[in-house]
Order: sequence, then C-alpha cells, then structure tokens
Amino acid sequence: MAERVVITGLGIISALGTGKDAHLTAFRASRSGITGVTHLKSVHADEFVLGEIKMSNDELSEKLGVPTGDNGYTRTTLLCLAAMDDLLQTTDLSLLRNEPFAFINANTVGGMSKMEDIYMDVIATGTDEKNNKYINTLDCAESTENVADHYGLKPIMATISTACSSSSNSLILGARMIKQGIVQRAICGGGDALSRFTLNGFYSLKNVDKKPCQPFDQNRGGLNLGEAAGYCLLESESSAKARGANIIAVLSGYANTNDAYHPTAPSPTGEGASRTMQQALDMAALAPEDIGYINAHGTATQNNDLSEGLAIQRVFGTNAPYFSSTKPFTGHTLAAAGVIEAIFGMWAMEEQMILPNLNFETRMEELGIQPVSSLMEHTPINHVLSNSFGFGGSNVSLIFSKA
Amino acid sequence: MEELKIKLKQQIIDSLNLQGMKPEDIKDDAPLFGDGLGLDSIDSLELMVLLERNYGIKIEDAREGRKILTSVQTMAEYIQQHSKI
Amino acid sequence: MKQPLYILSACSISPQHSYDMERFLNPVISSDDNKLYVTAPDYAKYISPVAIRRMSRMLKMGITAGMRSLEMAGIVTPDAIIIGTARGSVTDMENFLKDMISLKEEALTPTGFIQSTYNSVNGWLAMMTKSTRYNQTYVHRGFSLELCLLDAQMMLAEATGNKYLLAGGFDELTEEYFIIRDKIDYYKDEPVNSRTLLSHYDTKGSIGGEGAHFFTLSNDPNNATCAIHGIAMLQQPSSDALQQAIADMLEKNGITNDDIDVMMCGMNGDVRNKFLMDPLIAGCSTNTTIAAFKQLSGEYDTASGFGLWLVHYLFTHSSIPSDIIYKQGSSTSVKNVLLCNVTIACNVTLMLVTSS
Repeated sequence: MAERVVITGLGIISALGTGKDAHLTAFRASRSGITGVTHLKSVHADEFVLGEIKMSNDELSEKLGVPTGDNGYTRTTLLCLAAMDDLLQTTDLSLLRNEPFAFINANTVGGMSKMEDIYMDVIATGTDEKNNKYINTLDCAESTENVADHYGLKPIMATISTACSSSSNSLILGARMIKQGIVQRAICGGGDALSRFTLNGFYSLKNVDKKPCQPFDQNRGGLNLGEAAGYCLLESESSAKARGANIIAVLSGYANTNDAYHPTAPSPTGEGASRTMQQALDMAALAPEDIGYINAHGTATQNNDLSEGLAIQRVFGTNAPYFSSTKPFTGHTLAAAGVIEAIFGMWAMEEQMILPNLNFETRMEELGIQPVSSLMEHTPINHVLSNSFGFGGSNVSLIFSKA
Repeated sequence: MEELKIKLKQQIIDSLNLQGMKPEDIKDDAPLFGDGLGLDSIDSLELMVLLERNYGIKIEDAREGRKILTSVQTMAEYIQQHSKI
Repeated sequence: MKQPLYILSACSISPQHSYDMERFLNPVISSDDNKLYVTAPDYAKYISPVAIRRMSRMLKMGITAGMRSLEMAGIVTPDAIIIGTARGSVTDMENFLKDMISLKEEALTPTGFIQSTYNSVNGWLAMMTKSTRYNQTYVHRGFSLELCLLDAQMMLAEATGNKYLLAGGFDELTEEYFIIRDKIDYYKDEPVNSRTLLSHYDTKGSIGGEGAHFFTLSNDPNNATCAIHGIAMLQQPSSDALQQAIADMLEKNGITNDDIDVMMCGMNGDVRNKFLMDPLIAGCSTNTTIAAFKQLSGEYDTASGFGLWLVHYLFTHSSIPSDIIYKQGSSTSVKNVLLCNVTIACNVTLMLVTSS
C-alpha cells in the first residue's frame, strides 16, 4: 500500500484576512469578507459586492518587504507571496532548500489583474519599454516562477489551470508525486486576484449576484467573486514523522473526473459530481456516514447548487452530513477556491466546528437537504470532504482525515 | 413588424454565425431553442447581448430572457414594446 | 521513469503538411516575415456544424488534433485527457479583453471568456469522447507539454486500471501576441526566411510558430510505434548541467552516447542559447544524426510537441527527411532518439524515445 500523504503546513490570504486566527475569528463572528469595491477599477464597482482583500498592491508589497510601485509583480503574484509567507511562519525554509520538492501552483488568468490595465499600450507597436516587465505576466506560470525565485527555491514546478477546480488539482498532483516517490514534499495550492476580465466574464454569463450570495437557497441569484491565495505543505507521513512535524490532516482521498456534458454548465442531475465524491470516498475506504462535514463548492449559481445538491443527495441520501458553502465569507476565489476551502475543512476538523453557510433562508424546492446556516461548535468531525467544480466539466473532490 | 422580424433574423444569423442560413429559413414562431434551431444556453446569452447592443434592451435575469427568446415572434414583440433605440 | 509511455498514434497540426502526412514537406511551407501559422486541415471533419459555429482557431486545432489521434489509435473513449498549453486560446482572450476595454464593460458576449479558459479544449474532448475520468491542464510555459507527459506517465504507473490516455499540447500565434513577445526579443529583428533560421544563430530571438500535437499513449506495448523512456525538465541549466542530465538519462536506460541514432534538437536560432547548443552538438557521437525542427514549426511554448511528433514520424517512416537533417551521422537505423528542446528563456527539456 502506498504511503499516506499528510498536510503539515498551511498558508492563506483571503478577504477574511491573512492566516488562521483572522479566519477563525471571522468564522466565529459569522463576519463575511464580502463588501463593496475598494481596489478593483471597474465601471461596475458601485454595483457589485466582492470578496476583495482590503490591501492595495503597495500595502501588500510593504507587508512582503518587496519594493512598492511598479515592482514587476502582479496582484496575483503578491497574493501568492502573502499566502506563502503565511505558510513559512510554521515551516522552516531550509527544509525546502535541502532536497528536491515540488511547487504546484494554480491560477485561471495569470496576471490579468495588471495586464487589463496596460493591454492597449502593450499591443501598440513602438519602443515604449515601461510595461516590458509585465509583458509576460499573462502566462499562468508567472506567479509560480516569481514565488519560487522570491524565496530562492529551485523546486520542480508545475502550474495547473482547470478553472474553478485548479488548486484542488494542485493538491492531487502533489500527493501523486509524493506517492510515486518523485519528491518527499510538495507545496500545493494556487491564487487568483480579482480582475475586470473575470468579473465581466461571469457577468456576461449572467452568473453574478449583485447582493451577497446565497448558496443552496431557493432564491439564490448567482455568485460573488473574490480573491485569495492558499498553499498546503504535503509530505509523506514517514518524512513528517521523522522530522517531528505537526500533522494537521491526512489527505486520505481524492478524485478528478469530468462531466463530459457541457462547456460551462454541470450535468443537471449531479451525475458527474456524485461520481467524483464517490470515487474519493472509495479511495479513502470510507462510508458516506464517516464524513462529518462537507465544504461544498456552493457557488450560488442556479446550475451549480442544483447539480451539487442533487449529487450530495445521491451519495449521502437525504440524511446527508452537515454541509455548507463558505463562499458567502470569501466570495468565489476561482483558482484559489479549492485550496482555501480545503484549508477551511481542515480547520473545521481541528476545531471540531461546522462552518456556517451565511445568507441561507429557504431550502431549494428540488432538494431534501439544506446547509448549516449558523456556526456549530463541539461537533465531532473525523473526515471532511471538499468539493470543487469548474468550467470544462472539471470536478474534484478531496477528503481530509484526522491524523 | 415584418421589417423588424427580417432584420432580427439576419442579426441572429450574424451573431450566432449560423453559416449557410438565410432569414427566410427561420420561421417566425419556430422555437429557437431545443428542437427548433437547436440553439443552446450560450446562444441565449449571445442573443441577450444582441438585444442590448442593437435595441438598448438589458435583460438581467437569464430566466426572463429565455421567455423573451422563445421565437423570433416573441423577440420582435418584446423589442417593439421595450426598444430604447 | 519506470513506466514507459507507449505511443500508439500521433497527430500534428503545424505550419507544415503534417496533418496530411502523405504531403509532409512536399513542399516545405516557409515564410519571410518571422511568423509561421498552421496549415489548417478541414476542421468540420470532427466538429459538428452546431458546435463549430462559435469556436475559435485554437479550439478547432486542439479538438481536431485530439480526435484524429484517438481515431488513428482506434480508441473511442480515452481513460484520461491531459493537456499542456502555455496560453490556451489567445484569440478568445484578446477578443474578450479588447471588447471589455472598448465597450467599457457593457454588453459583452460570453463566448470569448468561456473559450479563453485554459481547459476548454479538455472539456470539449471529454464531451466528444464521453471521457468522464481524469482530466487535467498544465499551463507552465515551456514545460507545459512535458508536465502533461509526466502526469500521463505517473497515471499509467498507478494501479488505477487506466490503459489509454490522450495527451497533447498546443499554442497559438496571433498578430498581437507576436507584437507583445517581440518587445522582449522573442523574435528576430531582421526578417528571416524560416528555412534558413538556423543560419541566423548570431542574433537574438527566433521566429514565431504555432501548432497542436496529440498523442494516444498506453502502458501496453501492443501496436505502439515507439515509447518515451525518460522525460526531464531543466530550469535554465548550465551547459555542464545539461550534459550531465543527458548522461544520467542515458545511463538510467542502459545506453550510451553512441547508441543515439538521432538527436531531435529544438534549436531556435537565438544567440542566447548558443552556449547550450554548441557544446551539445559538439558532444554528440559521430553515429548520431542531428535533426532540427523549428525552421519548420517556428518557436512557441509547446513546440516540443512538433519535435515529438517528428520523432514518432521517424519511427513510422524508414528514412530521415533531408529538410530536418542538420548534421548527418553514421548510424543507419532509428532505434534511440533523444529529443532536446530549448526555449527562448533557456529552459531545456529532454525526452528519450526508443523503438520499444
């Protein structure tokens, strides 16, 4: 049997703040990070609410100790660096310098947050060089390579982009590389900064709610976008134990499948999503009733919540485990959603609490189940399931278990 | 109304890139979606943009949009009542 | 690398007549403006009229190359679809972004946004083949295709029952993307006839290219043309580190320099990687024929896909086309081929491909 893969370090920045304490405080106060717009320069800024991180690029740069102004870093990279800085609070960097490890990153639009401001200048012919330091930032790999460079690391690098399941796929790849003995450790996750491009993209799909989102609610009106970055340190159980690391959770099951149904919409019956959850359960050798909490994808779009809700019922029946979507706290953070929600799941298990699905009012008429709408402390959780679904029919489920 | 419908049909053909089709190939009351022209949910979003760009009609709710986009007839009627251009 | 990746079929859409293999290099397609665009096949063959209406070039290229590769291998539903692309559908991204800017964020159509999503070709291929299993997209610049192949190799080594995988890479050249990259010396300042690219190794930059390359892979050697036995990705290696990586790969597979019949070299004509390429070529055995391909494909992030397709071509055809021979070696057979690609950023990838 292949060796178990464990999680020994976490790092995160979202609209709720940086690090564990900020997030747990917000969860316990049921305080959402979704607000009016401060930094995103959109003509729709006054119309929308977003899970925006209330730090400017200069403030983020100061916090990171890098030059402010045009430093060549996009907001995406700055968020990734902030999450990595958080992870390195509890992880010794020298651990990563001494042997080969993997850095698996994910994002959906690279440095679009910067490129959309300068694009017309960039495509004009001529020799104006002021934007050249950003010219390659549309490449998704830009943030990956910049983060590694910033810490002077030479990992095996990969960047994944499977829309809203991207960073969940990062964790799967890292785990597989560890199981195959390619590396002992992998930092896996991803990040996305808000951009007009994605906001208008989802708006053109009529998927955006201008009010705070209401996942799994009969009257849900779409998603709120957010921005975030998160990373997990994955390693083989033996190497974690050998160095006496604190094991936060075991990545006991995962599955990646495809709906093969539609370019953007999930299968309405939840067939693909249920198959994904079932495969993850099978891999973890768990029965549905072993799952104590499901952190659902729960975007609050019509399609996702219907499909995912039915899928949960298919796998777990109407006596489903406690489940919630934490997107009313952070917004939908796209490539970061998978990893930050995996982190929330691990914290829920550590703290033995069920995170609330804010803004829930009315059960969906198609469903016999409904999410937990207020925080529940002192709830035994031994295994959590985290779902991420994306465009292109991409489905990922992850299961974390107590060490 | 007839003139509007012919114009609208050409706009639908152009915006959805319905290659080889002519306005007279689209019946006024034929369903645009499902078994009719076989259009899909992304086409319906494209058609809502068509209404916005050409007739100043903004549809926020996709479900309401689908009712308006039942056929060329329903679209033309809605345009006559609501066009701002 | 314990699990060889057996290649059952390969399909290429490139500037050359590679999709229509009977006409390959007859004639050689060339250009004088530092841009090589693909020679488009009939995209309607695999894509229905309803589906093709909104599709951009990149989607049509990727889907067609993927479907053709499966068809050639006789596989209907692959167990996994794994793709590498540095930039996905650039045209769709450009269209949506420029519409957003010019229309001031009003009345935007969603098609460009949807199709610019990096895994949109994955999604289409899954739908068209009803492949509901593993599906993955790597977007890491010049390593995108190699990461995809590494994943395929891991997947076939895992006890998951997977047997037939579809793997591929693609990237697109557009006029705007050319302007953008030209500003950072990705392309040569002086106009170059593409066929003479490698005689311009004294200036910065290469010529632009594009293409889509798909491979049907298996862990079962039956019906395989050749097999990938080693994949390496080297981040800006020194010349010594490159030589060492090659030596390590050969040693792991129990062969020596002299056993390499062909080195398929992704030289791109950029003076900035001469320090890697000159010693590499000088260090080759006299047995080894050195072949080059970027004068035919142009340079782009997943150009190694064309290189791998060409390697596969050598195994299915008995002779080495004269248009790719850079230096003739004495070996008369094609059993062991080393594919060595170098990018503008001086990253290097290696693949060892053998006849079994």
